[in-house]
Amino acid sequence: MSKAYFNYAGKRLLQAIVVILLSYVFTFVVVSILPGDPITNVLNNPQNGFTPDEIKEIIAAQGLDKPIPVQLWNAFSGFLTGDLGLSMRTNRPVATLIAEVLPSTLVLASAGLAVALLLAAIIAYGTQFLPQRFGQGLLRGFPSLFLSVPNFVIGLVLIHLFGFQLGVFRVIEPDSFWATLFAAIALGIPISAQIAEVLIANLDHESGQDYATVARGRGLSQMRLFVKHLLKPSSLPVITVVALTIGELLGGSLITETVFGRNGLGSLVQRSVSTQDLPVLQAVVSLAAVVFVVVNLIADLTYPLLDPRVKLLGTQQRRPTTADDSSLPISKAVTP
Amino acid sequence: MNDRSFRSLLSRRRLLTATSALAFAALVATVNVAPALAEDGAHDGGDVVFLIDSLGDTWIPNNSAISSFQGHIWGHVTDKLLYVDAHGKVSPWIAERWEQNDSATEFTLHLKTGVTFSDGSPLDAAAVVANLDIWYAGRKSEGINPIGLFPKTYDHAEAVNATTVKVFFKKPTLGFIPTLGYHGSILISPKTIASPASAQADLSKTSGSGPYVVESWKEGDYVKLAKRKDYNWGPAAVGQTGPAHLDTITYKLVSEPSLRVAAVQSGQADVGYNASPQELESLKSEGLTVATPRYLGFVNGWAVNTKLAPYDDVKVRQALQAGINRQEIIDTVYTPDWKLATSFIQSNVPGATDQSALLAYDPDKAEKLLDEAGWKKGPGGIRVKDGKPLLLTLNSNPYLATSKSIDELISQQLGKIGWKVDIRAYDVVTFGQKVKYGGAGVPAYEVTRSFIDAGTVASILTNANNGENWFALDESDKTLNDLRDKIAGAGSIEARKPLLDELQKYVLDQGYFIPRTQIVQRIYVQSPKLKGEVYNGVAYASYYTATKSK
Repeated sequence: MSKAYFNYAGKRLLQAIVVILLSYVFTFVVVSILPGDPITNVLNNPQNGFTPDEIKEIIAAQGLDKPIPVQLWNAFSGFLTGDLGLSMRTNRPVATLIAEVLPSTLVLASAGLAVALLLAAIIAYGTQFLPQRFGQGLLRGFPSLFLSVPNFVIGLVLIHLFGFQLGVFRVIEPDSFWATLFAAIALGIPISAQIAEVLIANLDHESGQDYATVARGRGLSQMRLFVKHLLKPSSLPVITVVALTIGELLGGSLITETVFGRNGLGSLVQRSVSTQDLPVLQAVVSLAAVVFVVVNLIADLTYPLLDPRVKLLGTQQRRPTTADDSSLPISKAVTP
Repeated sequence: MNDRSFRSLLSRRRLLTATSALAFAALVATVNVAPALAEDGAHDGGDVVFLIDSLGDTWIPNNSAISSFQGHIWGHVTDKLLYVDAHGKVSPWIAERWEQNDSATEFTLHLKTGVTFSDGSPLDAAAVVANLDIWYAGRKSEGINPIGLFPKTYDHAEAVNATTVKVFFKKPTLGFIPTLGYHGSILISPKTIASPASAQADLSKTSGSGPYVVESWKEGDYVKLAKRKDYNWGPAAVGQTGPAHLDTITYKLVSEPSLRVAAVQSGQADVGYNASPQELESLKSEGLTVATPRYLGFVNGWAVNTKLAPYDDVKVRQALQAGINRQEIIDTVYTPDWKLATSFIQSNVPGATDQSALLAYDPDKAEKLLDEAGWKKGPGGIRVKDGKPLLLTLNSNPYLATSKSIDELISQQLGKIGWKVDIRAYDVVTFGQKVKYGGAGVPAYEVTRSFIDAGTVASILTNANNGENWFALDESDKTLNDLRDKIAGAGSIEARKPLLDELQKYVLDQGYFIPRTQIVQRIYVQSPKLKGEVYNGVAYASYYTATKSK
């Protein structure tokens, strides 16, 4: 590991921190501009019978009548010291609320990613080795199809088919194995499409290479050729795509959770948005920013480590993206 | 995959599902092999799953006690000093008896002995004083709100001895006794009350003295209650004072209404909350129990803004009163389970009198009144005066699901006699910001509000004593002010009754309040296996007395 590598890593780390802090401030400003907050909403509910004087007094006691910059500074200084504050809606620590729901979302997101990778690998394998008459061409259309169907539609279809018609899972037990699996399928399908597209493009390129022809000539089985020789060089750009889909996994799990009735980060966000529970929203947005930034940072930093042929050219260096792959596959670019 | 193999896969899946369902059923059956028998012959034990559309927000007792959702849980986890049934009848509970002085400014409560909170501390006079204090004042700087409808005339309370509490008011407060049975007045352990707001917000750390305790809970997901075996201080009025029959009650959040009902239909749950009124008839015909209890409170209707033209004209208000066909609302939007409004307070409230004659549908009378007021029919049937159309802007109440449908129906009815009706629908947050009593652009504020004692009504109607000034009259109506002061100062229920009757007649005749229908805000769809639940004065179901058959 060279000095250039550490320079590069340090710069990327700084960028990441700035992105996270900006996202925190941005969320605060956006939500503060909208009228209403959880405390005022409750006080304004006529069924609670508060007088205007009482409402004013409580709002002042909570510091909600202070100017927005002051409120922002109070929240921001807490955030800098790692204190996420109290949820205005539930009066409970934001960190506790997130810790309660995070496991459910992590399970769903990782299961969704697993489904996506598996599906992508199956589709990619099929496009290489499935005979034309068994629908190889059709398989190549799957990624576009998967991408164009929103995952809540897939979710609703799965719930009605497997939850109600076939009774595979009980709708009121969304954390059961089967319910989780179907939620993961709904989440994983659109994501598999992006991974599959990159994988197919690279496989097409690799299988045309001389070494593949030689391997075939030596009589290697299709599966062995796929796993031993083609998959590895074709998978490097997939790391990039997977890192990019983390955002979609998070966003998608918000929708999937709502559809399947899972109590995860998504439903927490939904409840917090509907009541404008600012501290929770800020924490979740910052958390999402952290996850996204960190995953991409890891992808960026591991790339030079995983593939020694990728050389660091100072800040000019970037990992290959999908767009690069079609014109300039890595293996070719570095080894003439 | 060809068609045949797909079908065989389907049938294999079905077989697998059926087998596992049977296995599960067998397992459940063996778990519950030995049902104990209660003294009255009903089965003891059993678990109930109650599907609810929300579990509210914070769990700080003061801030959540009157929530339409959390109130269900508080009703099982806590007790109250008095019990108020669905007809507003007050009876002893934790307070065995009570006395008041002649001017209704001092009350003495005598408490049951041997009552404990689930944290082991006694429910004695000191605990009651701590509760009264926090209901009245809250701890505002911490975010613990006062109970909005607790009498603002409260002065202080003293523990005379372990079982006697004396409560003092600054002014006559007849409403104090019924308020003790109100959903906000839940008794919480002094240890919990003394703890900071963030601790109170953790439901598992809160101790009440009720027949159930919180076994586990998860924010926005579920609350599971388990029976307290040593409970023996229930309200005699429900016919039971010992421990509850059901072992557990689980309140599970299912936000999709059709899923809640479908789960009860399929036997996956026992109660579904807040089904749509249109579904109820067919659910009944399937053999499910449907309950539409009414709370004690105002009917659903409008408080008219008398500051806003043309509703400053009594004739226009009276035309509005006569121009609404209330029976058609029940026939079209609701089912026969809903009742016609007979006053501006629900007919089950003690002191409510039948003013149906003032609420009769009479379009001819309405048209005549509008003609007299100078509103002449113009082109398109809309009445016009001084070049301005006769306009009514309605802000549908987001707290009542059927509100907008009723607004649309009324818009048709009023359209026939020359009104132009604009309907606006806001979400809860925007409604709270924009729509206020007497607000500019709010000619009619749609009320949905419960209360436990009709005595509180008068103080809401004007702006005296921090009143809410519903009709924007301020102090301008001498008759109303006079009635308000007499009702507030009445020393006995008997003396107050004729005054309340007069108030209802006056408010309706003046067209200050335009009732729509009596309100049902809580709708329960229940499995026929679950029986014996009781609905209290605020229409919450209590399963303390309920049993579940196999």
